[in-house]
Amino acid sequence: MKMIRAFIRPEKEQEVVQALEGAGFPSLTKMPVFGRGKQKGLQVGPVHYDELPKMLVMMVVNDGDVTKVVNLMMDKARTGFVGDGKIFISPVETTYTVRTGEAVL
Amino acid sequence: MKEITAIIRRDKLPETKKVLEDLGFPSLTIQSVDGRGKQKGMVCNNDLDPDLPDNFCTSVKLTPTPSTYALEHALPKVALFVPKRMLTMVVPDDLVTKIVKSIISVNQTGKTGDGKIFVSPIEGAIRVRTSETGGEAIA
Repeated sequence: MKMIRAFIRPEKEQEVVQALEGAGFPSLTKMPVFGRGKQKGLQVGPVHYDELPKMLVMMVVNDGDVTKVVNLMMDKARTGFVGDGKIFISPVETTYTVRTGEAVL
Repeated sequence: MKEITAIIRRDKLPETKKVLEDLGFPSLTIQSVDGRGKQKGMVCNNDLDPDLPDNFCTSVKLTPTPSTYALEHALPKVALFVPKRMLTMVVPDDLVTKIVKSIISVNQTGKTGDGKIFVSPIEGAIRVRTSETGGEAIA
């Protein structure tokens, strides 16, 4: 299993969620975060925005579905401008469902 | 070292903290998150956190008449999310099972929405104050 953490534009979140739901991946966790990237934030005239609001979408999927989910996210979250976000993938060894106590996703 | 990420009900947080403390693991990070599982957040009829906002379920509780049907299908669908608490902790390898078991035992109600626990590998840890690395940093 892999954990996918996607930092996306907050306004694109609903679109991404709907697309994932349509593809059969309804389960996810989201949280608002603040961050910046290579561009050191955003410069608008004399005003410098150091930390920009993003939405962190976190989900754990089976290894075989990673490419599909990532492609979907990229497709929906992309605007082509700086600040579209990043996607990180990390390994998950075990998943437990608390309700049943079983180690299944 | 392993990282345990547990997504649990909001009202179970104090009990969970208590149990972890009794096990000797008081160190953890808590975040407020919104999430949903297989049920797509539509869990209005069976369980839910007792302190959810009243209007949380109104969008799925329209009386089914032709006009509400049309209304429902004309409006853009909004994804429903349930507020949850996410705990993150980094623990030594040999204690993972014990901690996971105790989290499950406290949080299990048998209804949907109890949450998930993820265990993933962590390559390193550093205590900022002393620059200790590895196992010492999380001891």
